[in-house]
Order: sequence, then C-alpha cells, then structure tokens
Amino acid sequence: MKIRSTGALALASSLAAGSLAMLSLGGGASAASVTNVTFAYDFPGPDFELIPLVVAQDQGFFTRAGLNVKVVFPPDTSTTTKLLVTGAANIGFITTTDMGVAVNAGAPVLSIGNYTMSNNWALFAKPGVALSANNLKSELEGKKIFSYGDTWTESMLPFVLKKAGLTDKQVDIVTDPTGQDFKFLLDGKVNIATNTSNYEVAGFDTSGLKGKEPTLLGTAVGAPNIPIWVYATSKSYAKSNPKTVSAFMSAVKKGTLWAIANPAKAAVEFDKLYPKSGYTNAYNLDGWKLTIPFMANSSGQYFTQTSAQWATMSKALKSIKLISSVPSPSTYYTNKFLP
Amino acid sequence: MDSNSQDDSVSTVNLDSATASRGLGGFTRSRRRAVLRNVGIPILSIALLLLLWQAIVVVFHVAPYIAPRPLAAIQSVTDNWGALWPLVLGTVRETIYGFVCGTILGIGLGVVMAKAPFLHRMVYPVLVLSQGVPIIALGAPIVLILGFGIAPKVVIVAWIVFFPVTVNVVAGLSHVDQDLLNLARVYGASKWRTFFLIEIPASTTPLFAGLKIGATYAVTGAIIGELVSPSGAGGSLALYQEHANTNFNVAGVYGTTMVMTAIGISWFLLIVASEVVATPWQRRTVARRSLLHREPDVDLTSTGH
Repeated sequence: MKIRSTGALALASSLAAGSLAMLSLGGGASAASVTNVTFAYDFPGPDFELIPLVVAQDQGFFTRAGLNVKVVFPPDTSTTTKLLVTGAANIGFITTTDMGVAVNAGAPVLSIGNYTMSNNWALFAKPGVALSANNLKSELEGKKIFSYGDTWTESMLPFVLKKAGLTDKQVDIVTDPTGQDFKFLLDGKVNIATNTSNYEVAGFDTSGLKGKEPTLLGTAVGAPNIPIWVYATSKSYAKSNPKTVSAFMSAVKKGTLWAIANPAKAAVEFDKLYPKSGYTNAYNLDGWKLTIPFMANSSGQYFTQTSAQWATMSKALKSIKLISSVPSPSTYYTNKFLP
Repeated sequence: MDSNSQDDSVSTVNLDSATASRGLGGFTRSRRRAVLRNVGIPILSIALLLLLWQAIVVVFHVAPYIAPRPLAAIQSVTDNWGALWPLVLGTVRETIYGFVCGTILGIGLGVVMAKAPFLHRMVYPVLVLSQGVPIIALGAPIVLILGFGIAPKVVIVAWIVFFPVTVNVVAGLSHVDQDLLNLARVYGASKWRTFFLIEIPASTTPLFAGLKIGATYAVTGAIIGELVSPSGAGGSLALYQEHANTNFNVAGVYGTTMVMTAIGISWFLLIVASEVVATPWQRRTVARRSLLHREPDVDLTSTGH
C-alpha cells in the first residue's frame, strides 16, 4: 500500500545508516546465540509504523530473544512479498491484500500476525468541503477521487462506490503511485483523497493548516472492517525456523506494548534511529498515537488473526477480479507463532 | 606500386563478385544479402535473447511469480491486448507530441544559439541546468500547473528531447565547411539562401544524430511522465504496469515492458527511416561508391573478357 508522503523517499540515504544502527544497537548477546533476521518493511523509507520494531531493538527485546534484526527497505511498495519468497528477507511487513494477490499467484507466503486489527482506510476532503455518509452519492458523483493504485484502495473503493450507488464510470479516479494526494487535494486538483487515517490525519495535523480535514472512514460507507497490515514470512522460513519466528513475534509484541504505553519516548527512539527519515517528531508521534487505537481487537488481543478476516479479504479481491479464486482462509495465515 | 596493388585487390574482389552475382539477378541477390544482414541478424539476436531468457527460467527453476517465461509474458500481452491497445496509443501520442514539441524547440534554440554567440553564452548554461533537474521532481509541480491529462507528459517528453537536438543543431551549424560558405559569398548568395541551401543540408547529419538520441529517450520520457503525473480515468501504460506489479502479475509486468520496448524501438526506427528519406545524398554517395566498385564487372562483361 502506498500511503505515505513520498518526501521520505528523498531521504533514502538515511536508510543504510538506520539499518546499521539497528545492528549496532543489538549487540548484547554472544555471537553464538544470536540469530540474524532480515526484516523487510513495506515502504522504501522508514516511518512511524516501524516504531514497534525500533523499540524492540532499542529496548533490547530482540537481543534478549537472541535475535539480531536488520531492517531493509524495498525499492517500491510491491517488492516486500518478493523479498520474502526469494529469501532476500526473512520476515516482512505487508498488507493483507498483498497477501491475497501473492497467494493467488502461487507465492508461498504466510501471515504470522496482524499489525492493526481493523480498517482505518478513509476518504478525505479539503477543509470546509462536506463529506458525509448521508449524501455520499452527490458528494462523489463526477468527482475526482485520488488513488495510490495499490491493491488496498482498488479493493476498498468499489465497496464505497457500491454503497453510494455509483459505478467507477461515474467518478474520475486519479491514480498516482507517487503519492501527491495531500498536495492535489489542497490545490483542488482532486476532490477526494483516499488514505489511512493515521497517515493522512497526522500529515494534516502537522502541516500547519487551519481547520479540520473532513474524514469519512471506509467502514462507515460499505468497506469491510478487516486488518490492513500483517507481519509475514515465507512458508519455508516458517517451517525451518519456527523458534526464530516465535521469538521475533514475542519481541515485537513487547516492543508494541512498550510503544503504546510510552508513545512520546517511542517516537524519540524512532527519531534517534532514523534522524533523516524526513518526518518531524510531531508527525511521528501524532501518527503513532493515531495508529494505537487500531492495534488491538475488541477483546484487547494483539496480532491475533481470524479466518473471517481472511475470508472477507479474499472475497473482496475476487469480487473485483484481482484474484481468480477464493482459497481456504488457512492458506493465508497461522497464529501459532504468536506469544 | 602501392596504388597498383590496391587496384589489383579491388579487381580481384569484384571478379569474384561478378562470378557470384551478375547483372540484375546478382544485384537482387546482393540486396537480399544486405536485407538479411540488416534485418535478419537483429531479429536473430532478439530471438537468441528470448531463448537465453527461457533457458535461465527453466534451468534455474525460476518460479513464475519471480520471472515468467517469455511466452507467458507475450501471452499476457495478447490476452489483454484489448485493454492495452488504448494505453499503447496513449503512450505513442504522448511520445509524438512531446517529440515534435521538443524537436521544434530544439531546432529553434539551436539555430538561434548558433547565429547569436551572445545568446549561446547566455542560454547554454540554462540548458545544461535544465537537464540537471531530476525529472521526477518536476512531476507534481507540472501537474499543479498543467493539470492532469496529456499536457504534463508532453512537457516531460519535450523536456528530455529538446536538449540533444539543440546541442547537435548548434554543433552542425557551427561546423559547416567554410569553403562552401566562402563560395556562396563569392557568388553573392543572400544569408537566407546560404542558410537554406548550404547550412541546413550540412547540419542534417548531426541533427538526425540528435533526433535519434531524442527518439531513444522520448518513450522513456513518456513512461516517466505517466508515472510522475497522475492519469485520470483513461489510465496509462505505466500505471497498467504498476498495477500488474502491485497485483503480483509478473507476466503482465514483463509483457508491458516488452510493449514499451517495442514502442521505443519502433519510434527509433521511424526516425532512422526519416533520415534515409530526408538525406538522399548520403544514400546516393553509398550507392555511387558501390557502383564504382562494380564498374570492373560491367566492363569485363561488356568487353567479353
């Protein structure tokens, strides 16, 4: 999914430094007991959704689990799954729809835990412009709607249009993988932006602009409430390294809970590790705080996946012909590595 | 002595040639050979490349979601040709408009710079600067100014094309044979007449060199334009490929790449063909030279030797 500011891309030079810093911070355990793990993020640059891993590293949770985690960044948002199946990375961070299309193509990937538990994908309008579920048809018909062209937006938008009683021919979907949604929205080049609320709202809050950006959650207008991001690995890595995968998820859970309890400190740790990420501390903190409410399910569980979420996702992809068949939900996931 | 031995060697070659190919039939055969050489070998090299690709995928058991077999890539194009064709036309349209705009701008600037040294000194650094700007960084500003649609793509293609054209036109006009210019002056030719009859023909070779470079980059420019400036409902070839990539349709990614490559090659060949048509004197020179080489054959045949 391509839902970050591409401004961060210009700061790719910081990535190597960040990865090296990750390595150097994890130097607590003896060399013999340390297992190296390469983690592939879903975006070409680091941002606040990486905070649980940063904390797990900085607080020594990985080290105590006997792991030396190196974070790598893909050249684009579609490559992480391929890094996993080729063995270039061991564990990665992808969207559930990425999982869907990968499994459909025969790629042996396995989701090992949800990152967020619900769908915070939303529609956004320029401040002062009306956007509500009640007048959805009139507010969308004939309008320019921004899309990153990713599988998530492609699969969610049809639900919203269906709810509004519109077809994709009755709106103008402007696709821009480089992610200039915010700029285009403010400039009036598009009428509606689509993004996840944690990234979009954090961007607006820290932009210095006055007013409030009208937001309409996709789940309020027909989009299914399913998790967006998951931790994933290849089936072969999971099979041959079950202890490592379990240790990783355990350390990440500790990092997640610590970061939820200490958001400000967690954001500072992120800034320390990625000082040239291109984002301000205010943005990272705001974004992380906006992410926290989506991380646990209604029972207070973290990471736990359900067959229902995968069934809903695969049916959604099938309905828009992104996948050819709906496999059994168990094809996609396992909870056996969860702490 | 040297010149004699050289003549002998030429005669020997042409005698052999006369034995193998005489008269009109021989000419046809040699043309056929030339066609085979100029068309057959490139096609063979492409076929070998595809075979190598196939062999790598098969021998190393490359999974289809990592890299498809060439036939799978080609099939993804044929299966989706209905969806691809309008996008191909869109890319071709952007390429043509941008190329024409860039060429006109490039020739105009080149002529002005060649004729006015002051302007040359003033404009040249700006031209170099313009090519130093990362084109991707221009995407959003161009869209904000020109909106969505074809205009931003055309600007990006023109931006890429005009520079090699300008540089080559300046080079061509600056290196016209001084003797020819002096001759024109002696005959009292006006500046315009000299320009049209001597300077323009003399600079066509470097001009076409620039156009060929521009043609190579034009399609790349169009694809970059499609990527950095968003498309509306019509979509674009670059976005089609982006979607294929996002949706794990690897055969689609490779197939689209093949289509893009085909557009690029076609456009380059079109410019080469234009050069052949626009500069007949270059071909004539070659033809005369080959005729000169054939003269001993003719003489030998006609005299009964």
